[in-house]
Amino acid sequence: MGEIDPAAFEIVGPEYQTWEPEIKKESVSKKLRKLPWIAIIIFSAILLGCIFAPVIANHNPSTYYLDNLNEPPNSEFYFGTDSLGRDLYSIIWYGGRTSLIVGFLGAAIVTLIGITYGCINGMANTRVDTLLQRVVEIFHIIPQILLTILIISILGQQNPISISFVIAVTSWFALARIVRSEVRQIRTNEYVIAAKCYGARFERLVAKHLIPNIIPAIMFVVVSSISACITTESTLSFLGLGLPLDVLSWGSILSLSNRALLLNTWWVIVIPGVFLIVTLSCITTIANCFRKDMNKKPNRL
Amino acid sequence: MNWYNNPYLKKIGKNIIIFIITMFVLSIIVFIMARLAPGDPLQAFYGDALDTMSIQEMDSARIRLGLDGPIYYQYVKWLLLALGGDFGLSLQYKMPAMDVISPLIGNTLILGLTAYILVFALAIILAVICAKHEDTLLDKILCKIGTMTYFIPAFWLGLILILVFSVNLNWFPSSGAYDYGQAGNIANRIWHMILPLTVMIVSHIWYYAYMIRNKLLDENRKDYVLLAKIKGLTKSEILWKHSLRNIAPTIINLMAISIPHVLSGTVIAEAVFNYPGIGNMAISAAKYHDYNLLMLLVLITGSLVVITSICAYLINEIIDPRMKDVGGTIWEK
Repeated sequence: MGEIDPAAFEIVGPEYQTWEPEIKKESVSKKLRKLPWIAIIIFSAILLGCIFAPVIANHNPSTYYLDNLNEPPNSEFYFGTDSLGRDLYSIIWYGGRTSLIVGFLGAAIVTLIGITYGCINGMANTRVDTLLQRVVEIFHIIPQILLTILIISILGQQNPISISFVIAVTSWFALARIVRSEVRQIRTNEYVIAAKCYGARFERLVAKHLIPNIIPAIMFVVVSSISACITTESTLSFLGLGLPLDVLSWGSILSLSNRALLLNTWWVIVIPGVFLIVTLSCITTIANCFRKDMNKKPNRL
Repeated sequence: MNWYNNPYLKKIGKNIIIFIITMFVLSIIVFIMARLAPGDPLQAFYGDALDTMSIQEMDSARIRLGLDGPIYYQYVKWLLLALGGDFGLSLQYKMPAMDVISPLIGNTLILGLTAYILVFALAIILAVICAKHEDTLLDKILCKIGTMTYFIPAFWLGLILILVFSVNLNWFPSSGAYDYGQAGNIANRIWHMILPLTVMIVSHIWYYAYMIRNKLLDENRKDYVLLAKIKGLTKSEILWKHSLRNIAPTIINLMAISIPHVLSGTVIAEAVFNYPGIGNMAISAAKYHDYNLLMLLVLITGSLVVITSICAYLINEIIDPRMKDVGGTIWEK
């Protein structure tokens, strides 16, 4: 708020007015220019690279090049090889497929469960509402990672689809709460009551009236849950509880890092991690532009 | 004094009842989840020795491990024993689960509590700095760096720190809570804790600092700040003495709901740095399908979280006269 004229504080006459920033309507081109283009371009590059992994990769990702163990990055193995002799450059692109699938699938399931539960919770009467909220609270008091490892320990060996289910089942609580509070604000509106009077059933009410109105509020949470799912998957795989070593993902590549620490082969740790972080930051930057701008009043300080 | 009409005591009583019900429901859920798990717990406990056991021996072993009868019977049996402090045998260590965990709780509490205090102390300081210099270059740089740290997965940061500071520079140890035979040596413990603490602080601080910063910015737009400014107070004085004080209940609430989050952080930090705590134990128990141990760990963390949220609620009640009964329980906000 550098524009405040200090003089405004000194002379306070009867015609004194607080300074309010002008609100202008933005044109389409200006809105387009405000999009985080760098993040979008980098993310699409990574996405395309993973989709066309067979074209980009120059080695077979599941072959063990036993003559080339722990080679630093060179002209043949662009990112070096790990302690099993796999080509990091190739397995990063193939592994990105799994990581991104887990991210998108997990986020989709989170959204599905979160919206369904939140809508039921929001539309229910007081008693059911309290009960449903208590259920969320009870799951919320267990640290998420502990709940996840408990479920994984029960289910045993994981594949990419089952692990996205496990991650999603343990991370929809926050979304359900936001949906619930939004629905409770909307449900007393005239159009919802009118729809009810016309005899609209619950499904129609949710699909036609509630979801379109809560989308702006939940968009940020939905998009950033993609990156949350990717992080959880890589953490679990690193801990040895997620995907096994032969199912390539950015997390399972990093699960070899303990051996890499002993051998001091930095590229095995740094390169997959950098890919992970760049992807996560791109997703969050994109998610950020869904956030509604806060109505900023002038600072009094 | 008519104590049962005292609203304050009533609320405490209500919260204790809610705590008991919560723990009860939690234990049922966890118990059913653990018992529904595939695989024979007997097999896990005895391993290959099971093949040489007779049917009678197996039956008596089942009774001893509380595995006989239908699931509700097993639960009641387990619950009665659990109320007496007996949470069953750890399948992995063949000794009572409580004995396995009790020496580790202290380690985790030291790490978790230090990280918790440091995270919030630093988050408040960071938030005040950002709020004081709102929209200047400093604020923008801090926000960018903060958002960057928020993306970095905690385990990867730990790996990088080990790679740089223990493997290459050899400044800090890469694992353990203390060197052999140095359990009582505080300096040695701190030396071992620096890297895990760094990981936990870096991966948690920005989330809270940013929330507190935004709360402070909202607070700074209120009229009393203008009055304080007219009175001639400096920016720092207004922020520390007025704004921060007014958002203290929010911060305490935030601290209460952050406990599961920080505990998640200890699990990862302990696993990366092989720190002997309950988080590391939970992971090895999960790998070994040691459900008795896992159940106990979940219940311990759960009760820790609920108790602290009740404490936060009571503290808020005392320090903030604006907080009247808002209905519902305390950890929902």
